[in-house]
Parts: sequence; C-alpha cells; structure tokens
Amino acid sequence: MSEKQKQYPRFRIGAQIEHLILLVSFTILCITGLPQKYIEFPLSQALIDLMGGIETTRIIHRWSAFALIAGSVYHLMTGFYRFYVKHERVRVLPDKKDVVDVRDYVLYNIGLKDEHPKMRKFNFGEKFEYWAVVWGTGVMIITGFMLLNPIATTSVLPGQIIPAALAAHGWEAVLAASAIIVWHLYNVLIKHFNPSMWTGKLPRNQMEEEHALELERLEAGGSPWQVVDRPVLLSRRRNFVIASVIFGALFLAFVIWIFTFEETAITTIPRVTEEIFVPLGTPGPAG
Amino acid sequence: MEDDLRRRNRIRPAVLGTFGILFLVLCILGLFVLAPGFADAEEIVPAERSQLANSKGEVVFATLLQDEPTHPPSDQACRLCHADSDSEIIFSSGETLPVAVDLEALSMSAHGTHAGMPLACTDCHAPVDYQFPHEPVAESDIRSFEIARSATCERCHQQPHITSHPGPESDSPVVCTDCHGSHNVLTIDQWQAGEGTETCVDCHMESGVDFVDPVQLSQIIRDGFFAERADNDYCLACHSQPGIVLTFENGDEISVTVDADALHDSVHGVDNPWQPLACTDCHGQLEFPHEEVEATSAREYTLESNSRCQKCHEGKFEQALDSVHGAALEDGNLEAAMCTDCHGAHDTPPPNEPRERISHTCEQCHSTIFNTYAQSVHGEALLVDSNPDVPTCIECHGVHNIADPTTSLARIQSPQLCAQCHADEELMAQYDISTDVFETYVADFHGQTVTLFEDHPDPTVETNKAVCYDCHGVHNIRPVDDPENGIKVNLLETCRQCHPDATANFPDAWTSHFPPSLQNNPLVFLVDTFYAVVIPLTVGALGFLVATDIFRAVRTRFRK
Repeated sequence: MSEKQKQYPRFRIGAQIEHLILLVSFTILCITGLPQKYIEFPLSQALIDLMGGIETTRIIHRWSAFALIAGSVYHLMTGFYRFYVKHERVRVLPDKKDVVDVRDYVLYNIGLKDEHPKMRKFNFGEKFEYWAVVWGTGVMIITGFMLLNPIATTSVLPGQIIPAALAAHGWEAVLAASAIIVWHLYNVLIKHFNPSMWTGKLPRNQMEEEHALELERLEAGGSPWQVVDRPVLLSRRRNFVIASVIFGALFLAFVIWIFTFEETAITTIPRVTEEIFVPLGTPGPAG
Repeated sequence: MEDDLRRRNRIRPAVLGTFGILFLVLCILGLFVLAPGFADAEEIVPAERSQLANSKGEVVFATLLQDEPTHPPSDQACRLCHADSDSEIIFSSGETLPVAVDLEALSMSAHGTHAGMPLACTDCHAPVDYQFPHEPVAESDIRSFEIARSATCERCHQQPHITSHPGPESDSPVVCTDCHGSHNVLTIDQWQAGEGTETCVDCHMESGVDFVDPVQLSQIIRDGFFAERADNDYCLACHSQPGIVLTFENGDEISVTVDADALHDSVHGVDNPWQPLACTDCHGQLEFPHEEVEATSAREYTLESNSRCQKCHEGKFEQALDSVHGAALEDGNLEAAMCTDCHGAHDTPPPNEPRERISHTCEQCHSTIFNTYAQSVHGEALLVDSNPDVPTCIECHGVHNIADPTTSLARIQSPQLCAQCHADEELMAQYDISTDVFETYVADFHGQTVTLFEDHPDPTVETNKAVCYDCHGVHNIRPVDDPENGIKVNLLETCRQCHPDATANFPDAWTSHFPPSLQNNPLVFLVDTFYAVVIPLTVGALGFLVATDIFRAVRTRFRK
C-alpha cells in the first residue's frame, strides 16, 4: 500500500546530513556517557569494558562531543544560509496554533473529536523536539566545557559550579535520552516508519496525518522551499561562502581551544617512596 | 664424796640432755629456714657455669674457673644430715645402703669444687624427688637404685660413649656409676692417669665378659638411647639452663635456652585448646645428642624453623607464603618476616591481646611507619586510648595474606577498604562520623572513575584519580579539622598535589563528602531538584501523548 503512496519532498540533503551527524554523535554520547552516570549498573560496566575501559570511553565521548558541536555549527551555518541567502521564513518557532494542535490531537485520540488536527510543515511534536535539542545541546556544551576545564571555570566562577555542572550534564542526558526513546522513536519507528530523514521524502498518508496543511500547500502548487532569483542568489551565496569560511576557521580554532584549554591534572600520581625495613634495634636471638 | 659424785652423775645427763634438745631445736629451725629453697624446685638455681656449643651445634659443658667455687646454699640443707649420718636405706630386698656421703670425695670429684665445676646436690637428685622428708625409695634393691640414679647423668652428658656396654634395657646393664662412681666421679685427668682402669678390670674379671664382645652390645644404644624419652622435662633439663647458645658456621650465635615459664604461659601452653604442646610436637623426636644443624646462619635456622608452624597452621602458613613477606623471601630477602618473627617462638603470646600488640609487632621491622601511624588519628586512639575500633596495621594490610599495598589494584580497591569502617553506620555513630563519605565519593568524578577501575582492573593502568588516602594521607591520617595537619586547612594544597594550577575557588568543586542539600552544595541541590521535576514532567507528558495515540490506534483497529 505504502509503495503506491505519492512521495512529497520534506528534507533537503543538508538537513539529512545534520540529522545523521546528530544521530551518530548523540547515540555514541549516550552510550559512552550514561554508563558513567550509572556506574553501579552492571550493564554500564560491561559497556565500558567493551569500549576499552573508562579512559578510552572518555576519549570517545569527547570526540563524539566534538562531532556534535561540529554538527551544531554546521546547522547554524545552513540556517544562516536559508535565512540570509534564501530569505526563508523560520517555520520552526512555536506559536498558539501548536498549543491548539496538542489539545486537538489528544481529543482526537481519545475519541472526543472526529478530525485529526491539520498541521504545518513542522508539527508541535517536531518543534518541541527541535527546541529540546537546541536547549539540551546548549546545556551539554556549556556544562561539558566546565567539566573538561574545571580549573579555568573555577578561576572565574565559584567552585560549586563544577559538581552542579556534573549533575546537570548527567540529568540532561537522562532527559534527552528518555525523550528520544519515548517520543521520537515511537513516532518515527513504531507508529510509522518515517523515511524522510533518509530519503528526503514522506509518503502521502503520513503527510496527510502529520502535515495536512503542508500537503495542501504543496498540492496547491506551492514550492517546498523558497525560490530566489539566480543573480541575487549567486551574490548572496558568495558573501555567505566568505563568511562561512571565516566562521568555520574561527570555530575550528575555538573548539580546539576548548579541548586543549587546560591541563587539569597530572597524569601520573607521583610514587611516594618510604623506607619500609627499619627494625627496632637488633632483634634478639630467636631462641 | 659419794654424794658429790652422785650429784655430778645426776647433773651431767641433765646438762647433756638440755644441750642435746637445744641442738635439735636449732637443727629443725635451720631446716625450716632453708626448706623453702629446698622444697621449691623452681627456685633451685644450678651452679653457675658457662656452656658453649661446638661448631656442630652440640652443647657441651665447659668449666668456668671461679675464684672461689662454692656449693649452692641449698646444699647446706642436704649436708646437714648427709655429711655425717648413721642412717641407712633399707631396701625390700633386705640390702642396706648408708645415706652418708663422702663430702671430701665429692669435693675432689669431677663435679666438686676442686674441679672448679661444683654441682649442687639437687642438680642430680632432682628436688622434686627429694623433698624433705624424703619419699621412701621406690627401688627394691641396691642395683635397681643405682641403675635408676644413673639416668640422672644423661641430663647433662651426651650419649654414653662406651657403646659396647649393655644399657638399662639389659638384664645386667652397666650404668654410668659402675665405672665413674657416684659422688666420687673421677676427673678427666684421673681417667687419663689410669685411675679408672682398675674398675674395668675388676668388673670384667668378675663377670667373665671379654673386654670386646659384640654380642653384648647394648640394644638401647643401637636403637637410639633417648628416642622414647623426649618429654618436656627431659629437654628442659638442658634447655632451661641459662646461657646455652648454638653457634653457626658464620659465627652467629643464638640462645637455645628456653624460658619454661613463658612456654607454659604461651598460646601453646596450658591454655592451648588442644593440649599443651610438647617440645617434640614442634621439634620432632630429637635425639640426643642432637643431629647437626644444617643451617649455616641464625637467620637461615629461624626461617627453616617456620616450617614447624606449618604442621598445625597450614592455612596461615600458605597465606604467609603468598604475602609480601613470602614474596620478599622468595626474592632472596632473608629479613622478610615469617612466623616466629611476629609470633615469637617459645613465648608465643596471644597475638592480638592487647590490640596494641598487633601494631607493636609490625613496629619491630617497620618502625618509621609505626611512628607515623602513632601520630595519626587511628594510631593515637589505639595507643593512647586503647580504642577497640580503630584499625591497627592488620585491619588495612591483612594478617598473614598481607598484599603488596603499592600495586594499582591495591590503590583502586583502597576506598572499599576505608568504607568497611567508614560506611558502617553503627560503628561511626559512636564517634559522630558521617557515613556519607563513601557514597558521596563514589557519586563524584574521582570516585566514579575509581569504582569503574575497581571492578575491572587493568593491571597496567594506574588511575590518576584521587582515592581516599591521596587526600587524607596513608599512615599519617589526621582528623579532618586538625588545626595543623587536618585536610580542611590544607584543602587547596591537597588539591594542588594533582591539580597544580588549581585556584582558590577550585577546592569548592569538591563536595566535601556532603550530600547536596540547601546547606551544603545548594547549587547541586537545585540542579538535582530542577531535573527531579522536569524529567518526570517531560517524559510523563510525552508518554501521555504516545499513550493516547496508541489508544486511538488500538480502538481504530478494533472497530474495523
């Protein structure tokens, strides 16, 4: 049945790449991070063993964090591209209609309303997820920086910020992972398999259910994305490339700076040598 | 005249009688004065002499020339009667033996003052058997009596040297006194001068036995003269004498004098739950003269002796071999402590009574560490207050299975060790010490890491994350609020040991073992509280939406 469904454009390739980076880095961050929060859980220790021990696990965690930050910056840059070059509307901001949609969605589900709410390109659930990722990534990057550079952090902020950052970092991970499992995985894998992040397209039935207004717009001949006159586009694009190269270089320098900011601790605890055999006088005959 | 004579005759018996009674009273009084020394076997001190061991480790007696050799005072009591007495022992066989001793011959004998080696009467006639008034003689005839008394010589002298004489097992044995005499033992000089020869000739002529007759060879000598006689008293006859030493090839000397009282009071003595140990339980059925000691040094001998403990204490012995001490020994360090170094040999006291004894035992070899420990909060409580709860050395290091404390495994397991006491609420409540220390440590970055290492140790990796002792010290642990060496006043310094660039705010990054609350670590508490609300709300709301969706899906399918 679904093979016969007409496919509608949903995500550009850039968005798909962003999603893939986020998917991979987020998963690795969870696998390497959550066991550190729940160390006494047997599975945690098995996982950490599997990954080559705690120190290796932490190195993997930091590289994944680097990938996540890079992905976030890439997202900022593509966002800037759409905002500046394409002059697209920002469609992911929540508004009143989203609240109404949530209400109608629940009423429809429990049978008090006959019709599923008609939703736009980004429905209330997707907007929530997007902003949750923005918030979560922000919290994780900031607290992660503090944990990676506690001495630099405490030279400016009170010392207690470090254990607070550790607590926030751990709990935020729990929140993000639970939300992803409960909400995202249910909606994109269990309810339907949603292929749009892999193919860029969504079948009609899913469009109808989750993005009815967007479907109407596309069927009425609307373009999925903003169209800009070519000369204008080229000129803006040139500016964007220059800006993005500069920004990219600055960003790279910044991240390297973050990751090598300080030498927090000595790597080897110095050995204390102590004279152990210091007998009290000469021992008497062992008779 | 006749009257005078009669009166004198009347007076003389009266005067003599009076003097006689007076004399008797004095005699009895003298006996009472001397009797305590006479009757109490343990107070009899043998005449002083030096006893040296030859190179084979055999104990032989040598004379010590004294300026004025004197008999021990207890002898006076014996001499009081035996010097000049008409009494006789009457045996059940009808034979009689005068009790008088020729004191002049004794004095001139090899055992007398003349030879410079005076024996006390009680050295041969064991005081236990010769309490006053004496027990009736047990033997039925003179010959049995002589044979029995000759056994006394073996207390000091080695195996009888003329091995062809039949021993006491024979129907007609030849015993020491037959040749050497009893109180008038010939000196070596006299023997060499041939004074004893007559004795030999007389005896052999009389018995008609050839001077060399292998058939008559003593069975006892063939079997080993002393094999069945090694009870403690037998061993102690020599080994309770002061100043006996065993000399080794390398010149080492050890005392082989055994303090019989200490042995008796030791864990192996009367209170031994099994039975008091006999010398031979540890030393085997040692024959006398003893076999040559193979050890070439005192230390080697001590180490060899430890295998004796193994017979009964197999488990502990095995543990000790696996310990740091056992490993050091295997590496050739002969100083490594083994059984007797800690427990003592004959005077083994209960090793943990009082508890301070434990740490003092370790002090014998580890004195500087002990001194540090003695200054610590634990050591002070143990040594000054006899506190029953603070750790002695063994609570942390183990007893027989003392592991190497410097390995990475020991390091990462050390927090568990501290937690054994410091997470014990009942124990800590007595001292008003928080039991949150372990939990809060494990909840923190250092503890998380160490805990992971602990369960999955990689022996090649040593974590640089702090364990308890990195901050609190090892043997020198002081109370946290000690004004000089406590960790509170030295916190930044302590952090800087591992975090050299740490600034003044940095120590607050450590929660100081306080579970987060509004009073302690409020920021952490607020973060925890925030997420304690946000996580259930968010996940709950999302879960609710998912639940309604599932509800609809199920209902739709059901209707179809």
